[in-house]
Amino acid sequence: MKTSDKEINIVFEICGSAGEGTISAGEILSRFMSAQGFEIMSFDAYPAEIRGFGKCVAHTRVSSNPIYSPGKLADVLIALNDNHAISQLSALKKGGILLYDSQPAKPHEEDQSVVARADAATISYGVPLTMLAQKAAGNARGRNMVALGAVTALFHLDRDAFTNSIKDRYGKKKQIVIDSNVNSFLEGFDWTKENIDKADGISFQGVTPPQTKAEQKGEKLIINGNQLVAKAALDADLKFYAGYPITPATKIMEILSKELPKHGGTLLQTEDEISAIGAVIGAGYGGIRAMTGTSGPGFALMTEFTGLSVMAEVPAVIIDSQRGGPSTGIPTKTEQSDFNAAMFGGTGDCPRVVLAPTDTTSCYDATVLALYLAEKYQTLVVILLDFFLSNSIRNIDVPQKPAPKMLNANIAPDAADLDGYQRYKITDSGISPRTIPGTPGGMFFATGLEHDAYGRPNYTDKGHLAMTAKRFRKHASVLAEAPAPVISGMDAGGADSGMGSGMGSSVGSSKGIPDKDGTPKTLDIGVISWGSSAGAAHEAVMTAAGEGVSAAAFSSMMLSPFPEKQLAAFAGRCRKILIPELNYGGQFADFVTKIIKRPVERLNFITGRPMAAEDIVEKIREMI
Amino acid sequence: MPTSDHYVIIGNGPAGNAAAFTLRENDPDARITIISHENISFYAKPKLVRYLAGDIDKSALMVKEPDAYLQNNIRLRLGQTVMRIDLQNRCLHLAHMETVQYTRLVIASGSRARLLPSMKPYADCLTFVTEYNDIKGMREKIAAGKHFFVFGGDLVAFKFLKMLTHMKKQVTLLLYPKAFWPHTLTHAMQKTIVDNLARTGAHILVNDDLDTIVPEEQGGYNVTTQQGVKKQADLVFTFNGLIPNVDFARGCGLDIDHGILVDETMRTCLENVFACGSCAQIYNPDLTAYTTSIGWPNAVAQGKVAGLNLAGETCRVQQAGRKYFDLEGVKIKTTWWEDADREDTEGEDTDREGNDRKDADFKNTERKDVECKDTDRDRKTGEKDGR
Repeated sequence: MKTSDKEINIVFEICGSAGEGTISAGEILSRFMSAQGFEIMSFDAYPAEIRGFGKCVAHTRVSSNPIYSPGKLADVLIALNDNHAISQLSALKKGGILLYDSQPAKPHEEDQSVVARADAATISYGVPLTMLAQKAAGNARGRNMVALGAVTALFHLDRDAFTNSIKDRYGKKKQIVIDSNVNSFLEGFDWTKENIDKADGISFQGVTPPQTKAEQKGEKLIINGNQLVAKAALDADLKFYAGYPITPATKIMEILSKELPKHGGTLLQTEDEISAIGAVIGAGYGGIRAMTGTSGPGFALMTEFTGLSVMAEVPAVIIDSQRGGPSTGIPTKTEQSDFNAAMFGGTGDCPRVVLAPTDTTSCYDATVLALYLAEKYQTLVVILLDFFLSNSIRNIDVPQKPAPKMLNANIAPDAADLDGYQRYKITDSGISPRTIPGTPGGMFFATGLEHDAYGRPNYTDKGHLAMTAKRFRKHASVLAEAPAPVISGMDAGGADSGMGSGMGSSVGSSKGIPDKDGTPKTLDIGVISWGSSAGAAHEAVMTAAGEGVSAAAFSSMMLSPFPEKQLAAFAGRCRKILIPELNYGGQFADFVTKIIKRPVERLNFITGRPMAAEDIVEKIREMI
Repeated sequence: MPTSDHYVIIGNGPAGNAAAFTLRENDPDARITIISHENISFYAKPKLVRYLAGDIDKSALMVKEPDAYLQNNIRLRLGQTVMRIDLQNRCLHLAHMETVQYTRLVIASGSRARLLPSMKPYADCLTFVTEYNDIKGMREKIAAGKHFFVFGGDLVAFKFLKMLTHMKKQVTLLLYPKAFWPHTLTHAMQKTIVDNLARTGAHILVNDDLDTIVPEEQGGYNVTTQQGVKKQADLVFTFNGLIPNVDFARGCGLDIDHGILVDETMRTCLENVFACGSCAQIYNPDLTAYTTSIGWPNAVAQGKVAGLNLAGETCRVQQAGRKYFDLEGVKIKTTWWEDADREDTEGEDTDREGNDRKDADFKNTERKDVECKDTDRDRKTGEKDGR
């Protein structure tokens, strides 16, 4: 990707109270930056309570270069609410920029203004957000737009283009709403241009966005993980979705509730998660592609039924968008602490497929792949998202629709198979030809009891061993057609190891983490990661490589079955291994340690924030 | 003094910093806050001209970085403007509608550029070189420009003019006799100055005044004087002296003339409010008059006195090291506390350029400019000397 001579890499945070337009302002900023051709990655943090006035933060990273993680600290903090913004100052870089309301509606007590609490190194700009919003629209609701106007003036953004972004955002609203927002924006712009003495060095003037972006303007999707999962499910011929609302997975159901019927499908909101997975297994048994989505607490409820899916060999896809846990936990914070539950939860020897997208784009690939694998291997597939992946917004290339083979994966019995049909026929691949109910001659028993090849209950030790082995053999077959793990970093010649085709080599073409492994044969540090931490790991090794550290990152969307040989080979090249993940003790690190049989360094956070490349870099420096 | 007392200092220049760090030296537990409207830590204003010329970068402007305040437990509120002082409730009202309570207050808000009444219609066309905020982005414009018009004639003006001519720029100076406010240059003084500046190659106008400044569409300005001289300039600079920056304090109950009136202990008419530096007018018992003073050493000396007195001492400001300015061959006396009949020309023109002494280490500054009558103070000093 070509970059301009002048590069930009800025993290904006807008902090306000629920109802102050914080998230809307962040979305408009992200969409504008994307429309300008910049790379964006954004996510929102908001309170768990449905009603109330909790703290909201819209976090947006903007860059003229590819970005893989959201950035740990903000360069610019826009304070729409002083009380909340005070607590957000700790996430502002030293020497960062604070934009605050210099004429709020109510006076501050001493030290209760955000500017009072800012570090002395902070560059503070006071803009009368409330006053200007009142002037523009007769009320203070447009403070967020005034702030965006100030940002536009301050950092030399294109005023007219930004105005159009606002018009686009509110295009379906009444004209008065559009006018109010635009006027507030322009008031903020004009006032700032006239009154603020710029003391910082940030400017978008002269920054040319990546050429490829400019060329493809208009062909980008600005989308988050949940939206992409829903899109992928529709593209992959999903016909049934059952679920019970739960943060952060609810959005998937919301989208599908509107879109699935248009595609000839059905959405069922059940009374709880147990019913949801039960309905999905029922639909899968009926021969249609079915899926449910939940988070940790719901996944825990589904555990019993997951065993049925595996034992009865019925396709089922569960999306578990992880949040802070256990139990109800921290609903609106991100975490990677359902690894063990997804990989090993439940009873008995229960082989299942677990996929973990590593970035927004691979959410599409993972969903298509999950529906394909569940159908072909007649088993349970779990997709491990997390709050960050579900909600973070990227501008990505429009994914290619799945290949036809991905849409019709059931291995049906031929005429010979139907002669004395054995639904659970022992095969080398572990896949037994499956009839859809109603197929003449294809009648069978489906049960959670251990069974013989016909599906009849069978409790013999030999029978149980044979069937268990058959179910496990599916793993080897799945692995044979799974996307390869991604190894990324600086290649031996000192260059970025190129842009590969992303994680889902067989299911999509969206660009993700570079995956051509040209890294040196021996490495000082190998960073092994999974899920949403992989982007930060990749960015960290690139930074470390820039500092002369020989480092590379390894990640695999396929967690179960895991590409153990590739992992062992990678680990064998590394002098030291670091495993960053968002859980307390290192669930994935425990898993990896058993495979590579050597100690690893762990980097664990449960702050509720996504993994930061900066933290991994710091750990790498410690390890060198 | 109870540690909960809050000492607030308005201004982050040499006087304010001297007060803050002197107080810290004498009271390790004091709660100290400096409030400054500028978005930059303590820097040397006299170096702005060299910064504009590209001789030094921003880091060389800095006297103290924010970390120095952290290390000394002095809170620095930057980019925050005091709008009003409420003496009755002992609080400050800041522009962003926050109130800050104080126990004792030091006003060290310095001075601001003087805009002549006749120039008000052209304020948008004028460039000041008074503080860092004024000159952001100006380096590039100066480097790119060819023709400059300088109006006024204080110390900084001449230094600036020399800098521009050294950079091979075409400069016109309109010498304004009242630029060195509150002094007025006589004809003889003007002649001496013109003779001295002639060697710079600048075109110098005297006995004239600005008539109009008209911005051009493509940038730059057309300047016309009352004598009919027409000049095209990329930028028009004005240097007509400084006036105490005390507008926010007017009407609050403090005695204010040009500056805030204080006695030799830097106290205002109120026991718990001090003022020092160029925002203050200090009583000279010999002259029986209040006089403003300028210059870095004076500001430091006064700030130190304020700091010591905040800590409970009773000190009087004595004398600063510099008392006369050399205005291109013209000696102008500016310090007030020297005997009016004594002539002492030592130090000459480095006063306003006192930045050359990186005078931030107030702990090590000699104390000859401070006289403490308090015997306890003397004892404390003796202990320090004995260490």
